[in-house]
Amino acid sequence: MSAVPAVAEPTGAVWLDFLKKWARIGGTKIFNFVAGLAILVALWWLGVWYITLDPALEHFRSFAPNRAIFEGIPAMWEFGGIQRGLGASGYRLGMGMLIAIAIGVPLGILVGRSELFGDMTHLPFQLLRMVSPLSWEPIAVIAFATWDRAIIFLIVMGAVWPVMFATAAGIAKIDPAWFKVARNLGAKRLHVLTQVILPAVTYDVLTGIRLAVGVAWIVLIPAEFFGTRAGIGYTIEDARENLFYDQMMGMIVLIGVIGYILDTILVQLLNRANWVRET
Amino acid sequence: MRTDVAARGPEGSAFARASSRGARHFVLGVLGVLVLGIVWQIGTWYLVSQPETRAFGNFGPIPTFQAFPRLWEQGRIQSAINASLVDRLATGLFIAALIGIPLGILVGRSKWFREISHSPFQFIRMISPLAWMPLAVLVFPGWNWAIVYLIVIAAVWPVTYATAAGLAKLEPAWYKVARNLGASRIQILKEIVLPAIAFDMFSGLRLALGVAWIVLVPAELLGVTSGLGYAIKDARETVDYSYLTAMVLTIGVIGFLLDSIFVALINRYSWYHRRTAS
Amino acid sequence: MKEHDASKHEDGRLTFVPDDRDIANGRHTECSCVELMGNLPPDDPNIADGEPDPKLKADYDPQDPSSGLLALTGAGAGIERRSFLKAGLVTGLTAMMPQAWAQKPKDEVVRVGYIPITDAAALLIAHDQGMYKKNGLDAVRPELHRGWTPLVEAFQAHRHNIAHMLNPIPIWMRYNNKFPIKITAWDHTNGSACVVGRHTGATSFKDFGGMQVAVPWWYSNHNIILQVFLRDAGITPVIRPQEAKLAPNECNLLVLAPPDMPPAIAARKIDAYIVAEPFNSLGELKAGAKVLRFTGDFWKGHPCCVVVMHEADVEDPGRRAWTQAVTDAVVEAQIWIAENRKEAALRLSRDGGNYLPFPFEVIDRAMNFYDPAYYSNPPAIKHLEWAQSRINMQAWPYPSATRFVADELRRVVLTGDKTFLNNLETDFIIKDLVNYDFIRKSLEKNPRWRKDLSVPQTGNPYDRKEVFRI
Repeated sequence: MSAVPAVAEPTGAVWLDFLKKWARIGGTKIFNFVAGLAILVALWWLGVWYITLDPALEHFRSFAPNRAIFEGIPAMWEFGGIQRGLGASGYRLGMGMLIAIAIGVPLGILVGRSELFGDMTHLPFQLLRMVSPLSWEPIAVIAFATWDRAIIFLIVMGAVWPVMFATAAGIAKIDPAWFKVARNLGAKRLHVLTQVILPAVTYDVLTGIRLAVGVAWIVLIPAEFFGTRAGIGYTIEDARENLFYDQMMGMIVLIGVIGYILDTILVQLLNRANWVRET
Repeated sequence: MRTDVAARGPEGSAFARASSRGARHFVLGVLGVLVLGIVWQIGTWYLVSQPETRAFGNFGPIPTFQAFPRLWEQGRIQSAINASLVDRLATGLFIAALIGIPLGILVGRSKWFREISHSPFQFIRMISPLAWMPLAVLVFPGWNWAIVYLIVIAAVWPVTYATAAGLAKLEPAWYKVARNLGASRIQILKEIVLPAIAFDMFSGLRLALGVAWIVLVPAELLGVTSGLGYAIKDARETVDYSYLTAMVLTIGVIGFLLDSIFVALINRYSWYHRRTAS
Repeated sequence: MKEHDASKHEDGRLTFVPDDRDIANGRHTECSCVELMGNLPPDDPNIADGEPDPKLKADYDPQDPSSGLLALTGAGAGIERRSFLKAGLVTGLTAMMPQAWAQKPKDEVVRVGYIPITDAAALLIAHDQGMYKKNGLDAVRPELHRGWTPLVEAFQAHRHNIAHMLNPIPIWMRYNNKFPIKITAWDHTNGSACVVGRHTGATSFKDFGGMQVAVPWWYSNHNIILQVFLRDAGITPVIRPQEAKLAPNECNLLVLAPPDMPPAIAARKIDAYIVAEPFNSLGELKAGAKVLRFTGDFWKGHPCCVVVMHEADVEDPGRRAWTQAVTDAVVEAQIWIAENRKEAALRLSRDGGNYLPFPFEVIDRAMNFYDPAYYSNPPAIKHLEWAQSRINMQAWPYPSATRFVADELRRVVLTGDKTFLNNLETDFIIKDLVNYDFIRKSLEKNPRWRKDLSVPQTGNPYDRKEVFRI
């Protein structure tokens, strides 16, 4: 763009310049965001329309996005399904992730730092990792006094592995020279942990957490088949049993939104923690 | 810390060191599994000592190992593996790779596509595969395809994003050099892009395998009468806990073997000759 | 492992021959006990082999090495029982063994477990209308599970002391898995139907050749009744993968969770299903399915779900009062439901007490809509004179019905291992599985239960001949 001359310009042109600049940088991102979602919704609507062309499936038009957003969500809000569900499941997911991190990161550091521990636990952890969290359900029922704790246990059993292995992978990337330097400079073990290890693995840990959140979502819904009174999975099952698919899809939309927000937060943290040149 | 110093050493001693390290690795691994087994047995003793939980005694290692010969004879293990692995998991992962890798390349190469697809992909990715179940039942002609769909919709994301990440690591200079040397697009793809992203691609596939396993068990709650997930369901329904743990062990072992294949592939294509930590 | 000759056990009892499966499951210890102690016949013919004798203070458990000491000293359960109790040896050991459950403080609170089908009505209304309280019991809100599996697991883990289960499930639990469970009453009668998809054009079971039919569970009266219908129509039930070829007189069975049945039938994945309410109503209302036959119109007043409790609560003299009070409450609830159908439907639904997550219309239809004119094509109601309804609340567990279920289970087609049934006498099951004392007393206190026409109106109301009219 040509430089603005010192002579006073008509105000409109200045504003136009400003808008153009803004549209080019910020607007494109927002435009793409909205456009992408719009395409998704359009495809969704088309898909449902096509599938329900068969008159026998007329009831299943409730799968459509317009029904989900404009009928399903208000209906669920009215009887409190959304609020109670989010509260209950949010608690379980949150606690589950916290415990998974609290167990996974130290374990991962151990696996990464101690060759003995790593070798010994490699095989058992790999075996345990492959056990579908839902196979733990009977154990969860026996071992825990409340359903909340049983569900949290199931989430932890799914989420701890990505966190642990990502942490271990992060440790493996650390240049061994740093430990030498730290020791030479007289760092105690705690300092080595806090000043060298943790900052170095943050990126990988966050990647692991991102994966773990994905797994936790998968596990949450079948985990809530047990005797709870509220939850996202609970609300979805209620809707599903009634064949209220607009409510079910509405809940799914909400899950998508919340998951997206969570993931975005994690990515922002990731970008901050990323001291390597790029991703 | 477990970076391969040996790999940089002279040939002969590298082999010797590698094999002794391999042996040590193996022995420690076995030890670790034994420890796991002991913990398992202790847990079972505890369960059995409480009158409330005595019925769950069959979770223990002894009944589990006793169940294996019986199940093998009845052919249940083989048929379950066949149904789950061959029909569903392999198909699902193959389709996930078929869709995910090109998608990942697109995401990696085209900024426009990456930005447009970001929101819908992140959105769909967050939907629990099980929430898809009623829709899958409705849409797909058979139960197997519904299960394959559930696996694909869960597994395609790690593949896509890992491939995209791999692409991001390519130096733009290489494209310039290749073009200067007269390479066609196909040649660039074959000689430069694919080998470069192989490491990340296989990492993504490995992650996809992990997710697929998790999804397989609840996915087989649909109207099938065969498969590893169905076996777990069957075992729980008939309260046959030694059967349950036997199948869980089977899944664990198979999952581990498959995962090891991917790890081997990853290490093979790893640029830095670095052993994957896990 | 030597072959154990079980014929030494007195008859009238379980002639238990442990086979390879039992050995594989670690349940060969009945053998080792006998080998150790000689072939002592058990004392009480009413206690099943392998059952922990509730009168015995300490148990031998095969998986607990510390209790091996007990076995050596001859205080093992399942064989010794009262002879040693009389010897007083056990009393001394009781003090040492932590697992002497007689010392555990008993839970007085009624904890109901259920799954959201109308079958659970009696247990739920007893809470909603305060029958538990009226009988002096504390009750927490019943807990909802989304399927039989979580419910069974929770019951086994003693999270619940009363639940409803499909009639054949306790048979499996007690005799195959040796879990001490007892049936104490019938939870309801009828309440199920077989529906067909509109796309099939089927008007009778003879049209079921080549069809895919879903049942809620292999071990269910639904499966049994369906196979009786099929056999009568000359169709052979099989279990094959979905794509497998079917002969014209074969019909493929599969298990589906009840909420998946209406969408599956609408999507033509299955052609028919048989299940408890309200999933037949939902199939009618939302999936275009048609009711082919109400099961209560074929088998007059048949059991579907039964009330189950832990054997400890039923056999222990200290618990008698509690168990009687609970049973009284359930019977009172059943009579209340029979006399206040619409209000019961309202209280159960999401518009009332929210025990079942369905709106009132669905529950009302599921419980009360039984119009022969509406269901004339195909004729789903043929026996108006039986005066049954879509669901009935009759609690007396007729031995003749148990006999039919036990016998049919032997020939019904299903996946899983049925060999445990080979060594069971039906007469034994009738006596051993069901406890008749508490329900009898409750019914004597509440004579209005006899109004249901599936109860013999003349003569002895506690014994009947089962009536089947295809």
